[in-house]
Amino acid sequence: MGEKRFMKGNEAIAEAAVRGGCRFFAGYPITPQNEIPEYLSWRLPEVGGVYVQGESEVASVNMVYGAAAMGTRSMTSSSGPGISLKAEGISYLAAAMLPALIVNISRGGPGLGSIQPAQSDYLQATKALGHGGFHCMVFAPNSAQEAVDIVYDAWEYAERDRNPVLVLMDGCLGNIMEEVELPPMKERTDADIPEWSLSRRNGRDYQGNITPIYTEPILEGINMMAGEMYKQWEEDDVKVEEFMTEDAEYIVVAYGIASRVSKEAVLTLREKGVKIGLIRPITLFPFPKASLRDLDYSRVKGIIDVEMTIPAQMREDIELQVMGRCPVYEYGRSGGCLLDDDGVLEAIEEIIAGGNDE
Amino acid sequence: MTEYSRASLLADAPSGYCPGCLHSLATKLIAEVIDDLGQQDNSLNVISVGCSALNILYWGGDFLSVAHGRAPAAATGIKRTNPERLVFAYQGDGDLAAIGLAEIMSAANRGENFTVIFANNQTYGMTGGQMAPTTLIGQKTTTTVYGRDPATTGYPLKMCELISTLEAPRYVARFALNSPKGVNDARKGIKKAFEIQLAGKGFTFVELLTNCPTNWKLSPLDTLEYMNTNTIPYFRPGVYKDTEADAE
Amino acid sequence: MKTSFVFSGAGGQGIMSAGITLAQAAIDMGKHATYLPEYGPEQRGGSAKCTVVVSDDPIVSPLPRQCDNLIVMNAQAYEKFFEDLKPGGVLLTNLNRVAEANDRDDVRLLPVPVDDIALELGNPKTANIILLGVLTGATGIVSREIFVQSLTEKFGKKPEVLDMNIRALDKGIEIGKQYKA
Repeated sequence: MGEKRFMKGNEAIAEAAVRGGCRFFAGYPITPQNEIPEYLSWRLPEVGGVYVQGESEVASVNMVYGAAAMGTRSMTSSSGPGISLKAEGISYLAAAMLPALIVNISRGGPGLGSIQPAQSDYLQATKALGHGGFHCMVFAPNSAQEAVDIVYDAWEYAERDRNPVLVLMDGCLGNIMEEVELPPMKERTDADIPEWSLSRRNGRDYQGNITPIYTEPILEGINMMAGEMYKQWEEDDVKVEEFMTEDAEYIVVAYGIASRVSKEAVLTLREKGVKIGLIRPITLFPFPKASLRDLDYSRVKGIIDVEMTIPAQMREDIELQVMGRCPVYEYGRSGGCLLDDDGVLEAIEEIIAGGNDE
Repeated sequence: MTEYSRASLLADAPSGYCPGCLHSLATKLIAEVIDDLGQQDNSLNVISVGCSALNILYWGGDFLSVAHGRAPAAATGIKRTNPERLVFAYQGDGDLAAIGLAEIMSAANRGENFTVIFANNQTYGMTGGQMAPTTLIGQKTTTTVYGRDPATTGYPLKMCELISTLEAPRYVARFALNSPKGVNDARKGIKKAFEIQLAGKGFTFVELLTNCPTNWKLSPLDTLEYMNTNTIPYFRPGVYKDTEADAE
Repeated sequence: MKTSFVFSGAGGQGIMSAGITLAQAAIDMGKHATYLPEYGPEQRGGSAKCTVVVSDDPIVSPLPRQCDNLIVMNAQAYEKFFEDLKPGGVLLTNLNRVAEANDRDDVRLLPVPVDDIALELGNPKTANIILLGVLTGATGIVSREIFVQSLTEKFGKKPEVLDMNIRALDKGIEIGKQYKA
């Protein structure tokens, strides 16, 4: 049995990272993720880890690059504008095949946007976290507990793939306090330090190097390997929650905080006799294509994309799987205005009523 | 009889630096000092972007190649997690004094226990000779075709002078590689910096004045004379900070 | 059974800590709870608001549009949030700062001179504990024992502070009971 605590999402992420083996964090203050660096600034030294407050987002992600190259489980966190600044570094991590955890507690955008919660970074997270055409696995937990479970195992994926992993949450989930059950500390020794790293603590006795720059045709080969890896993720690593979809005529698609508000609406509508369900991508990349592709479209009358951003950003990924077999609708709030139970419920009812009129 | 041999961390490959380029000499000096200190397996070279990045082809020891200007940040991540290693960053003037100014000043100010070796040849060599933050007043480059004009481009940045104003750094020195004495002094300076680091004492910074025959459009020999008459009068060699010596 | 609370007022009035204390107390009683703060860019003197949801079952959405219990500690918060209370809900106001709360005739109004009572007790910082006491007395959402336990954990090392907080809690409960539905 784990240990139960009433914790802020951001702090739960930080503690789960430590227990998952994180021993290096570098970051720069930005709302609404400040509890992550604040927590790790005292927590990491307790377990022999290192916390550094970087002079910028750019410096922070490059500190992570250095620490990750030594085989140390390393992470940084930020919010939208800061993730943009880290984009170069994340691309370099991918190029140098370095595992790391990046956490984005997102806020309203574009630009400085707002410091209030929003889901405005879906496209950045899933399509282009930086230049050069690479992908990271993108996890979108919808509770403090799920964030703990995902962060705890983030380096298992990152080290398996030698690729950074992104956890995308919004400011609501970062700041919400909920009860979480914490897993035990992963005890790791020098023998666990990967052989590809530049550490010598694992007994490596030959010269090694790591670079984000390659000559042709090596780079093409690396691009091809990455392409194969992304395909493999679709086979092995898709995580999705399908809720009341078996007989559903309407399907809400939502992730993160939007999925919780949407699920409440689904439950209310079911009580009213509406045949409605929810598909919740937990991995945004790889996207749960099959869940949407394989629906029985002789039954499904409409898909409703609910996101806390305007316009909806996941819509194209949904439409690619629906392939015109039913209408796709969207509802959202944006710019720091939060989704709420009644708002989502009313929007869905309106969409269904409108759809039935057509 | 003295036996001369290739330093052990220099890969067995001909240098791809332009003929007469002092990057080769600087790299050789570092490798020789590592041999002197017996740090062949413990050293870690953080290779920056620019002509310095060519070292990924010639450096035979452990190295990490990093983003433009970010070597001091990456070195921070390395050294903080692996303090037993001899960590040094090798950066050029565009990398260190322009795009990476925040990283070098912040790492120096934190007193990070690694060494930065700064090759200052007053130009962006790799990209074809554009104006660098250290380009001399009046010096012609591909982006200052009439010579660097301080009215629009400011003045060459003196990094040793800047860094030596900070509290944390332990050793800050500049050497010119255009004379045998300068080369000998530089070798001693690099060794001293590494020794301070190995003793865990803090940040060390060694600036090496170098050349760029190709982009200066001078013969290698003429670049050495150019350095005497133009570079050295502005970037004065010397020890700018030495907390060891101050304590004595 | 799912019950929601919105605490609102100015920064420095103990709004956030009241919300956290209530949520923690509910969890200590074996219920489920979420606490969601809303934050502005100001570090001091800005508006403060948090939402607490307490339920016997795991909480699906932590974002109700309207709450069952609205606690307003100043006039600005009242003006901003009085519509966010469900019909039939409880509107607990700080009578010292919200003089006329007469926009809703479909809710139970609990006007309490919280600031005066806190001053009488000797410390204006106990205002939020008084509020929690009133809620406890009026709704029975959590028990006195649980609050006393959490106050003891927090202030156990300072007996005089603990004593003052328990007196604040009891004073609040006494007032709340007068309003018990």
